[in-house]
Formats: sequence, structure tokens, C-alpha cells
Amino acid sequence: MGTTASQLSKESLSEYQELTFLTKQEILLAHKRFTELLEKHEKDQIDARVSMGKIITLPELKSNPFKERICQVFSTSEQKDGSLTFEDFLDLLSAFSDSATLEIKSHYAFRIFDFDDDGTLDCADLEKLVNCLTGETNDAKLSSTEMKQLISNILEESDIDKDGTVNLSEFQHVISRSPDFVSSFKIVL
Amino acid sequence: MTSYRNGGFFNPAYHDTETLEIDRRASSKTHHTNPYDNQDPTWWGDRASNDDAIGRVPQGGWQEESWRGRENIPMDAISIRPRSPPRHHGPNHSISGMDSEYNQSRSIPLPSSSGNMTMRWRGIAMRRMSMFPDADHTQTAFTEDAIWNEMQNEQQNLLEELAALSTRDRIKAIRDLPMSFKEKKHIRKELELQSSRKSRQFTCLADCSEKLSLFSRKCGYHVKSAKQTLELWQGAMKSIGGKFGTSVLTYFVFLKWLLMFNIFSFLVNFGFVTIPLLVYKHTPNISQNVNNVPQNVTFRGLEILTGVGYFKYTVMYYGSYSNGALVGYNMQLAYFFTIAVYMVLCGISLIYSMSVNFKNNYVLADSASNSAWQLLCTWDFSVTNEKAVKQRRNNLCVQLKESLSETAQQERLTVSEKLKHYGIHFGCWLLSTSLAFGCAAGIYFLCKYEHKVLLQTTNTANWSLLDEAKTLLVPFVVSLINLVIPLFYSLFNKFEHYSTHRKQIYALLIRNVFLKMSILSVLCYYWMNKVPAKDPCWESTVGQSLYRLVLFDFLFLMLGSFFGEFLSNVIGTKLIPRMGVPEFDVARNVLELIYSQTLAWIGIYFSPLLPAMQILKFLILFYLKKVSLTHNCQPPRRSGRAAQMQTIFIFLLFFPFFVGALSIVAYTAWSLTPSEGCGPFRGLNNSFTAVDVWIDDLKNVTGSQWVIEIYSNVILSEIFYFLITLIILVIIYILWQVTNGRKELIRRLRQQIVNEGKDKSFLLERLQDLQKSLPNKTTKQKKQKGSMKQHSDDHSSGDQSNSNAMVQALLARQQLEEEEKRYSIGGVPVPSEMSNSSPLMQAMLARQLADQENEDQYPMRDENPSSSSALAQAMAARNRVEDEENNQYDVFNRSSAVTQAMQARRRAEDTDDDMGDLPHPVSNVMMQVMQARQQAQEDDRIQWMTAPPQNPGPSGSSALIQAMLARQEAQNEYDDGY
Repeated sequence: MGTTASQLSKESLSEYQELTFLTKQEILLAHKRFTELLEKHEKDQIDARVSMGKIITLPELKSNPFKERICQVFSTSEQKDGSLTFEDFLDLLSAFSDSATLEIKSHYAFRIFDFDDDGTLDCADLEKLVNCLTGETNDAKLSSTEMKQLISNILEESDIDKDGTVNLSEFQHVISRSPDFVSSFKIVL
Repeated sequence: MTSYRNGGFFNPAYHDTETLEIDRRASSKTHHTNPYDNQDPTWWGDRASNDDAIGRVPQGGWQEESWRGRENIPMDAISIRPRSPPRHHGPNHSISGMDSEYNQSRSIPLPSSSGNMTMRWRGIAMRRMSMFPDADHTQTAFTEDAIWNEMQNEQQNLLEELAALSTRDRIKAIRDLPMSFKEKKHIRKELELQSSRKSRQFTCLADCSEKLSLFSRKCGYHVKSAKQTLELWQGAMKSIGGKFGTSVLTYFVFLKWLLMFNIFSFLVNFGFVTIPLLVYKHTPNISQNVNNVPQNVTFRGLEILTGVGYFKYTVMYYGSYSNGALVGYNMQLAYFFTIAVYMVLCGISLIYSMSVNFKNNYVLADSASNSAWQLLCTWDFSVTNEKAVKQRRNNLCVQLKESLSETAQQERLTVSEKLKHYGIHFGCWLLSTSLAFGCAAGIYFLCKYEHKVLLQTTNTANWSLLDEAKTLLVPFVVSLINLVIPLFYSLFNKFEHYSTHRKQIYALLIRNVFLKMSILSVLCYYWMNKVPAKDPCWESTVGQSLYRLVLFDFLFLMLGSFFGEFLSNVIGTKLIPRMGVPEFDVARNVLELIYSQTLAWIGIYFSPLLPAMQILKFLILFYLKKVSLTHNCQPPRRSGRAAQMQTIFIFLLFFPFFVGALSIVAYTAWSLTPSEGCGPFRGLNNSFTAVDVWIDDLKNVTGSQWVIEIYSNVILSEIFYFLITLIILVIIYILWQVTNGRKELIRRLRQQIVNEGKDKSFLLERLQDLQKSLPNKTTKQKKQKGSMKQHSDDHSSGDQSNSNAMVQALLARQQLEEEEKRYSIGGVPVPSEMSNSSPLMQAMLARQLADQENEDQYPMRDENPSSSSALAQAMAARNRVEDEENNQYDVFNRSSAVTQAMQARRRAEDTDDDMGDLPHPVSNVMMQVMQARQQAQEDDRIQWMTAPPQNPGPSGSSALIQAMLARQEAQNEYDDGY
């Protein structure tokens, strides 16, 4: 894959550096990893897409419980199939990089957790989130009463305006109070 | 409500307020075609009769036009607020987004082909739409357009904001936008376009600065990527984080951080202290007292462990450095300042990272230890190992369940159980404290014993191997204590039951810190007080002790990871499966690191090259711990608060340990007499005197007067330090007060948010009630309206007797707006079934109707006032009369109702005079009324043949109303004729 570096022109590389939180090495590495996922004939196309199925085979995403959501959130595909172009892929890595701001990270975290894409985290979203984290197996799953209790706890903690859902600013407020978030919301290639 | 309306109407300040600019959009309504042109002819008639009354204002229409424009304000304000936002946008843009509708002239051309007017119009429609979501479905496309338009507006606004920034800030701001790459690129392109357009005006200067900033940016990128290339252990860190998560990773990050300290220290010491000495040594004219390794001292091997013997004569220790005959290089100053600068830099770096960490992780952090969100949003995305993820999920599930049952558990504790817990805590604390004291005392006596034994053989050069080995006793015992006692402390956890995991960790930390501090303080006391008295070159002796301690600490760390992790793994997997695979104890391991770093700090004065050893030690330790971790340990069961723990570690490193080490070194430098026989400071009272001597020397140099001044007046004066302390205290007090104030502010703001939330839900409920009640009431009208497009629900009739005043007002306003539009467009009268509405409502509506008609009468006179209540009519008539007075007859200034009749009469007379073809005035009022009525009807028929048949005045109204109407009609006629 020695040619990968030359595939990225200097201008686009500097543009990527300017618009993302990634360094040159990270961008080159990302490009290398991304072109590995492409078919042979697609490698020269600038806006070739990699399907979600292939993206989530990356070892960094493979065992992530949110892998599908992450792809969907960062995908700019018209068909909403979660396929990523190289720029989408860079976006993903940039948001999950070390130097991304808390604002960016919490914004994307909110979108990842907002399973139905309606702009707020309602009870259904929260339940899905908890299930996603604890796993779907029966022994690990919370019982329905526990879930109810948990969700009401969550809402009590974070729903400041008491409208029954957690909106972005409320979510960001919660995030700003949990310092571990920044270090754990991180995916490095 | 009425008073509010009046305020809105007659208060000129109200019309002039800038905040209400929004509603200038109302002026755009005239450009819209009315789809209901030919509707409801009966209403036309009603309108037409009224219009005569209004149509008497030939001028002043413009005035009222602007009135009307502003009149809409409250309506729009109301309709905007409760709408549920379709999307989320940044707090900055939501407000300015609206303004931008009016700043179109400045904005960048957009792909949108629709003009400003339609855009504004759609904005209104959307708000209306979102207020009444169950309106006509044909609006959907309309709403989408509106949303799209608003997005465009927001984008423009953003672009403007960004364009105002400097290039560097702009790039940062663009990068910080939570948008996709494509959108960012688009914005960047737009901005470039804009700036290139702008920068054509400025030429060379702008070009230069642009190039310069580009260059500096490029440099920044290069530095960043170079830094990343140099970053140590990237892959290793990633794999550790991928398997064990961030909390274990903190240990390795901490280790790396300490390694950086030591590398810096080594470079400084080696560069400024050791290299000059080495260079001097190898010059031909050697003075023997530097390289004074006695002939009979040879390297025997055990020195590597003990650090005595051969090592004593190398540059390893303080004793070998001398100020003797180094030409042109002041070793005293170099030695003193190197160490001082290093310690100060260490302190600053510690304080800085401590404060940053503290700010990020403690001040903002939630106090609740086990809150649900804490668990949910700290899912470690960096964990990539399949097994680790599974384990993490299970752990998280357990923790969630625990957090749910925790509160219940707390309450179940009885008094006796609580007492038992306190008793156990007390016992454990007592035991651990006494253990620490015991260890410290034991070490003190051991040191004394060692000294006694070693003093028997005065000449260290003649030590036998056994004598040399005896020196290893103290470090061995100290390291053993450091290894065993913390494990023992960990056992306490089995008996103690702390309510939270955090408290348990803190208790363990405090005990370990106490133990290590007491051991170190005993050792230091011994070194500072006992050793100098008996040893000719005591600094080197202390340096040797430190060397041994550092080395043994390293050996025992290795042993520790063997015993602590490997053995317990073997036991856990093979012998007693109940114990399970051990976890990596981050707290204990980090404390070990802190301890060994403290040894290195203390030793820097006595053995300047100790950091070199420390570097080696940490390098080996990193790989050792990594191997031990991956082979022996499992990921932690609890996702602890890694970030907070890190802050605590840095704090611990700073507070007892670094400060302790610093004070030891400072005490040595300021108060202890350096040994006579060796070292750079021989012959001085204390090391600091070297600076005094230097200053004295400076007195002979001309032009250095200011240095001496500063030295004697600032460094040596107590008043300076006194003042500094005072100022710092004052600043601390002020900041403390500010903090308290902010806390109070935060509390209040929170309360306010809660209140706003309540308000919001209340208003939403109201709105929903309204929406529910509206469609039922207006179905009849909807049918009449047919293909109504913009405002399906607006035209609710005034019969909501069951809703409260506010709702009524709201509806009335909507109605008004509706009417306005129709008037302005086609001059079609609006059906208004206000006969059965409440009087208040009627009054309000009527008033507005009247006002609108006022505005419209000048251009279009085909409107008739609809029948309304007496009050409304009276008001309208009054207004009109006043207008007429102002505009035409300045003589008529009377405004009372009684005089109006008179005025009307006079006017009628005037009309007669002017026109000659109108009936003569009748002195009797009633007569006049009757005649006027007839006239009006006749005139109508004559002048507007196309007008639909008129509806005669309201049949059910009282005689008074009739009179009023008639009078107005007469006036109308007059105007028309005129």
C-alpha cells in the first residue's frame, strides 16, 4: 500500500487537516485503512462508498455496541444505509479523536444515542441505549421494573425542564458533569 | 386584555421599539393574492355598509399602515414562542436567525430563487403551521420550504459570524462546528469566496498577512504531527486501553508523564553540571583531587546494588563535583541553579496540570457517585477487545442494578449495624495508623544500628563484601514494608463495608500515603540530622542511601508485580477459583510510582544523576507492567472515575510528596553546612551562600548594580514576601467570594430553568386545548372557505365563550390578521359572526376591524363595516371622526360623543354647500339619521354599480347604533363626494 500516500493530494490533505482534528499521520493512516476496504476498481474514485457491513468489520468498531448507529450518524448517504465515504470516515475519526472538543463529542454522542433521530432522547431511546450497553441476552437484561426505575432516575437527573425527554442541551449539561466522557468517547485507528 | 391592547395602540413608544421589528414582515402581505376573492357575497354587503363609514379618511392611510404593521407584533410573538422547534440549532443562531431575515442585503447569494418577500411570508406560515399542526395538509410542502429557508438563514448568519473572525479563529471555529465534512467544506468555500471578494480591495498587506498566517498554520500542523510521531508507546497504550479501558490506562499515562519529568531532569543536570566536570577532567592539567579514585578501590560488582565503593568516586554523587579549578565556570552556581530551576519547573508543571485537571474533573463534576448517567455516558468507546466488551457489559449491568438498589440498602441499616460498621472502621484506621508508626519507628532504629555498625570501619575503602552487604539492610526492609503493608491494607477491604466504592479507594489511598510519608520522613530526619554530624562527606553518603533505596524499590516493584499479580493469578485460576483472576490495582501501583519519584526528587541534590536511573527504571517498569497486566489481570469490574482518580494522583504527587521533597532539598540548601571535604560547596556555611558570594563578586562589575538592588531589596527582604503573601491572601479571598456568588447564581438559574420548563408545559397544554377546541368550532367556516391555503384556522369566529380571555385575544388577533390580508388584497369583506361572542371579545375585535378599515378605506372604498356591538361602532366612529378632524377640518377639535352629532350635522351642511346635490341637513338628529341612511344606500347604488347588493344595517341593534351608523354613512358620503 505504498501508493496510498500519493493518492491524497497535498491540497486535500491540508484541507483535511484544517477541517478535522486529525493530524497528518492519522489522516494518512485513515486513508490507508479506508482504501483497504474498497474494491479494486473503486480505489481511484474520490467519493467511493464503503458499505456499513464492511466498515463495522474494522477491529476498532467490531465489538462496539453502537457500531451501526455510529455509521448511520456519520453517513451522508442518500439512502440512509450507513455507508461512508472517505470524508465521512474522517468525520467519524475526527469526532472520536483525542483533540476533539467536548462540544463536538457530546453532540455526536447525543445523535448516536438518539435512535429514532427525532432530536430528543425520549423513553424509548433511553431504553434502547441501556439495552445496547448491557447487551440483549436475557440474563444481562434489566427487568422491566428495573428499566422503568432506571429511566425515571435518568430523567430526574437530567431532564431539567421536566418535559419527559432529554434534549441536546440537557444532555450536554450531563456530559459536562461527567469528566470521564471525553477520555472514553474515543476511537483511535 | 383591553388595557394591554390600548397600550399597544396608543403608546407611541410601543410602536417604535426595535424589538418588534420582526413584524415588518406584515407589509409583505399586500403582495399576496387572495384565494377567497369571490366568497360569501353576503359578507360583502355587510362590509360595504361599514366601509362607507370608514372610507372618510382621504389621507393618513400611510400612518395607519405602519400602525397596522406593528400591531401584529404580539400575535407573531405569541405564535413563535410556543412552537416546538423542528430541529435543534445552536443557542446563538436561534435568535439571530430571525434577524437575518431582515439583513438580506448583506448576505451571500444563495441558491434559493425565491425572493425575500415569499421567504418572510413562509416564515410566518411555518410558525402558524407549527402552532396548528392539524391544519390543511397542503401546507406541508410549504412548511418544508419554510424550514429550508430558515436553515439557509441560519447558515448565512453563521457565515457572517465566521467572516468577522480572524483566519486562525475562523479555522478553529469551522472545525468546532458539529457538521459533516461536506457542510464544513461548503462553508469554508463560501467564506473564501467572500474574503477573496473583499480582499481585492486591500492588496499587498492583506496578501502578506494571509501568507504569514498560512505559513504559521502549516508550521502548527507540522509541529503537531511531529509531536505525534515522537509520542511514546502509542501502540502499546492503544492495546492496553482497548483491553482494559481508560481507568487502567491512567496508570500508564501517569508513568509516561513521570518519565518525561525525569528525562527533563536528567538532560538539565547532565548538561549543566556533569558535562562541564567531565570536560574539565579530561583536559591535560588534571588536579588530582577531582579524579581521586584511590588505587585500592576496584569495581567488585556489588557496587551496582549498594552504590558505594567505586561509585563513590564517580560523577554519580555530590561529592565528586568540585568548584576547584574549573576555569570560567562557576560550579557552585550551576549546581545550585540547575536544581532550583528544575524544582521550580516541576512545581509549576504540577500545579498547572493539577489545576486544569481539577477544573475539568471536579468543579463541574456531579457529586452523585453512582448516578445512572455517569454509568451510561462513560461507556468506553476505545475498548475494542470482544471479550472485554462482553465483560464490560456485564459489569455495567451489575452496576446499574446496584445503583438502583443502593438507596434502599442504605435505609435498611439499623443502628446496631451502623455502630458495628463504625467500630470496624475505627479499628481498621487504628490498626493501619499504628502499623505505619511501628514501621517508621522500626526503620529509625534500624538506621541507627546501621550507622553504628558502619562507623566501626571508618575507612570505607577497606570495606569487606560483608560490610558492604550490610548497607543493603535498610533499603531492603523499607522496600519490604512498602510491598507488604499495602497488601495488608488491601485485606482490610474484606472486613470494612464502605457505602461506596469511592470511599473505599480513598480510605486505602490515605492509609498508604500515610505509611509512605511516615517512612520517608523518618529517613529524611535521619539523613538530615544524624548523618551530617558523623560523616566527612555526608552528602555522598545520603546519595548512596537514596541510590540503594531507588534500586531496591525497583526490585521490589518487579517482585510486587510477580507476587501481586502473577501469584494471585495462579492462585485464582488454579488453586482457589473463588478468588478469581486479579484486577490491576491502579491506586496501589500509582502510589508506588509516586513514592519512587519522591525518592528521585529528594536525591537530586545528593546524586545529580539519579534521574538517569529513574529513567531506566520507568522504561523497564512500563513493559514489565504491560506484560504482567495482559497475562495476569482482568479488566476492572467497576468503571471507576478514571479522570477524577487521575486528578487525585496528581494532587497526591504534588501535595505531600513533591512539597515534602522540595522542603527537604530547600532545608538542605539553606540550613545545613556542606561537608568540608567534598562537593562544590565546600567551605561555605550553606549552599545558598554561593549566591551571596556571587552577588558580592558582581559588585565589582559595573552595570550590574540593578541585580544587586533586586537581590538585596526583593529576594532578601521580608517585607517583599510579606506583601506578596498579603496580596495572594486578598486575591484568594476575593476569588472565594466570587465562587460563592457564582454558586448562588447557578442555583438560581437552575431554579429559573425549572420554572421556565413549567411555564412551557403550561403554555403547551393551553395550546393543545385550544387546538382541540378550534377545529370543532370552525368546521362550518372551513367548508365555506373551500380551498383555503394559508390560514385555515385563523378565521375562527368569535364564539369561544368557553375559552378564557387570553385565548380569545389570541384568536381575535389571528382573525384580524386574516382580515387585514383580505382587505389589502382584494378588498373583500370578511365574514365575521360576532353577534354571539362575549362583549369584551366583540369590543376588541371590532376595534381592530375598525382600525383596519381605516387603513384600507383610502385606496379602496368598497368595504362596509360589519355589524358589531355598540361599543365597537362607537369607537370606530370616534377614531374616524378624529382622523377627519385632523386631516381636513382643523377647526373641529371636539371629541366627545355628544359633539359628534353636531359635527356630523355641520359636515352635512358643508357637503350641501359644496356639492349641492345632497339632501339638506335636518335639525333634528333623528331626522338626520333617517335621511342619511337613505342617502347612503342610494349613493352606494349609484357610485358602485358593480358592488353586490348591500345588506342593510343590523336589524337587531338599538336605536343608538342606528344613529351612529347613519351618521357615519353620511360622513362617508361626504368624503366620497368630496
